[in-house]
Amino acid sequence: MFEVRNLCKRYLGIPALDHVSFIARPGEVTGYLGANGSGKSTTMKLATGLIEPTSGEILFGGRPIKENPMAYRQRIGYVPEEPHLYTHLSGLEYLVMVAQLRDMDRHSANERIHGLLRLFGMHGDRDAAMSSYSKGMRQKILLSAALIHNPDLVLLDEPFSGLDVSSSLILRSLIKELATRGKIVLFSSHELETVERVCSHIVILHRGKVVADDSIERLRVLMAVPTLEEIFSQLAVETDSDAVSREIADLIHA
Amino acid sequence: MHNEWTLRKRQFCTLWRVFLLRVVDFDLLSADADPTKLIGQFATIFCTFSFVFSLPLVLIGGNELPMTDAWMFEHFLIETSMTAAGLIAILNWDAAFPDKRDLLVLAPLPVKKSTMFLAKVGALFAAPGLALVALNVFSGLLWPLLFRSSGSGFFGMLRALPAYWITISAASAFFVLTILTLQGLAANLLPRQLFLRLSAVLQTVVMCTLLSVYLLGPSLESPLALTSLQNQRILDWLPSYWFLALFNQLNGSTHPALAPLAARAWIGLGFSTLGTCAALLLSYFRLMPKIVEQPDILPQMRSVSWSPRFGSPLTQALTLFSLRTLLRSRQHRMIFSFYLGLGITIVIGYAHTVPAGFGSIGATISRSFLFASILMMILTVVALRIVASIPIFLQANWMIRITQVRSVRDYQKGVRFSWLALGVTPVVVVIAACLLFMYPWRPALGHLTLMAGLGLFLVELCLTTFPKIPFTCSYLPGKAQIHFVFWGGLMLFIRLLNKAAEVEGRLLNRPLGCLMMILVVACAALAMRLLSESRALSTEDLLFEEEYPAGITTLRLS
Repeated sequence: MFEVRNLCKRYLGIPALDHVSFIARPGEVTGYLGANGSGKSTTMKLATGLIEPTSGEILFGGRPIKENPMAYRQRIGYVPEEPHLYTHLSGLEYLVMVAQLRDMDRHSANERIHGLLRLFGMHGDRDAAMSSYSKGMRQKILLSAALIHNPDLVLLDEPFSGLDVSSSLILRSLIKELATRGKIVLFSSHELETVERVCSHIVILHRGKVVADDSIERLRVLMAVPTLEEIFSQLAVETDSDAVSREIADLIHA
Repeated sequence: MHNEWTLRKRQFCTLWRVFLLRVVDFDLLSADADPTKLIGQFATIFCTFSFVFSLPLVLIGGNELPMTDAWMFEHFLIETSMTAAGLIAILNWDAAFPDKRDLLVLAPLPVKKSTMFLAKVGALFAAPGLALVALNVFSGLLWPLLFRSSGSGFFGMLRALPAYWITISAASAFFVLTILTLQGLAANLLPRQLFLRLSAVLQTVVMCTLLSVYLLGPSLESPLALTSLQNQRILDWLPSYWFLALFNQLNGSTHPALAPLAARAWIGLGFSTLGTCAALLLSYFRLMPKIVEQPDILPQMRSVSWSPRFGSPLTQALTLFSLRTLLRSRQHRMIFSFYLGLGITIVIGYAHTVPAGFGSIGATISRSFLFASILMMILTVVALRIVASIPIFLQANWMIRITQVRSVRDYQKGVRFSWLALGVTPVVVVIAACLLFMYPWRPALGHLTLMAGLGLFLVELCLTTFPKIPFTCSYLPGKAQIHFVFWGGLMLFIRLLNKAAEVEGRLLNRPLGCLMMILVVACAALAMRLLSESRALSTEDLLFEEEYPAGITTLRLS
């Protein structure tokens, strides 16, 4: 079980996360939603240990991740929001390096790397420098690097960014499959339709605070609205989108 | 019409500033670092040099200099100024012509090609120009007063000052323009992919040539040397003497020996200007449309996947990452080759001053060879340490951070292996190959063992202050004090090395002395190993940020 307890994070005194608490369980995909700047990526970075919380704690398997960070890192797979990669390496070299840094057995690492590259349709480009890769190709390398060691906790921050239709469909099914096999999947996205199809449980953030934490079905019943889009609009959208779009058009015409 | 002119002026200023700051690679810096601070540091270093160059004036006072002495100082200042400007132009190599990023960002904007062109040219000359001013801020105001032509009095002083500044500007412009011409011609004549691959090699060759000429160039500052027939061929290839002549021409003190050289300076400047204009125009009107269409790096066709096996997977990962970064990152390769080039230049210069050079004298190894091997070992390890502290794609280090599944000590083992493999081993192999062919085996074996011990000691010494993974920690200007220590101590260091080579040469011939020497170096290496290991054991986390955001926020009210 992955649990976030009273998590706070301040950047130069400005709160990014304000007492955030939720639980993600094995076998379910937890959707993590929120507008830009609501604190989704900050939570992901805190969950990977890349940044330290101001207060609160994160527990994995009932124990604080701070207790044994190295053992925790062995069990997580992470796809960041931005595809920052060592672009002077080739896709294959990068994945081999990740496997070596994770101390994986050479034989099984090679098998998995080539398998993942083949399944993602990247095998033909494996020796090209990643500086020549498109955004979608880089995203596939990030996904491969996150899954190569069979992690128990999968943290996906905007994993569909840049992927083509066929890869998006594969990833959508893959996320469900990972949950079926007992993994904990925390999945952040702006694509509400995908979230609705993939996630069994959602957490909605608004201005650094949790405003909803339940299954989609229960939220529909509770709020008496038929779609996730309307749930999200009621809880996390403050502006009238039609009015704003009219204002933008007026502004550029002036 | 007026509005269009104002718009273009604004666009020019904006683009000029952006292109000028390309000299600093923002991706390297810590989140809170200030890039202008780095530029300020460089300017301060140049100003310090200028102050040091002015110190001999205290000894000379206001006395008029004999002609040959005046020529020597004039030549030194002109050559130093033009070399500094040339080095800045070489460091700015990638920014000289528009790249794909410029085109993709600027093409959709209503910016005329000519505005972009002028802003780029303006920025290209601004960086060497700033370096030139900083390097002459003291010396360029004081020395010219002594360079007046004899008997010209106060008006001679007034004439010498602008003559000096015009000369150093022209000399620096000559180097910058020649470098731009070379680069532009290569970019236009070679196929784009080949140019991208060869450009780094060309840059390294130009830098080594510039440094070698500056450090090894002959001293010909006398009428006899300048008129001697045997020196004429070499003078044709030494532009610093052309501009020495030009200064004397502008100063009104042209010696007959200098007249042909002054003409050469004007011709050289003309040709380099024409060459640069042609290269720039070709680049903008012929090359630019092609750049957008072509990928910067073509896929590498590789039939055999080669990945050597050594040590633990972590050691393999760190060593291969370091090797690939050194081979593929132009910036890192340049800094590394700068130190190696400097070492080779000093070695060649030193060999000329010692009888028999690198040759064998009886059964002993020559002092030049001992000096060369010690110096190259030290410079290689120091260069590796310096280059490893400069990151590559800093934002990509998240992957290394979340895969940190072992202790700092394990990472240190990997870094140690990579430095031994990439720094110490190649130097030892080269020394061994030379020793095998040139010297008797007994002293050769002793020297080789000593060099291996020295390499181990140096690697451990560097590791004591390096709780990082090479190329992954942010670089904070001002933190890298090692540069200043290195440059400040270089002269003293060479004298000490000379003494060390002399002592080693003596002891190598005595079996007991040789054994004692090896024991001392081995003990020092062992002690340093224990120190670096204990530091690693007491370090909890690897360092990825030179400066973390402050826990307490200051309001900066005062």
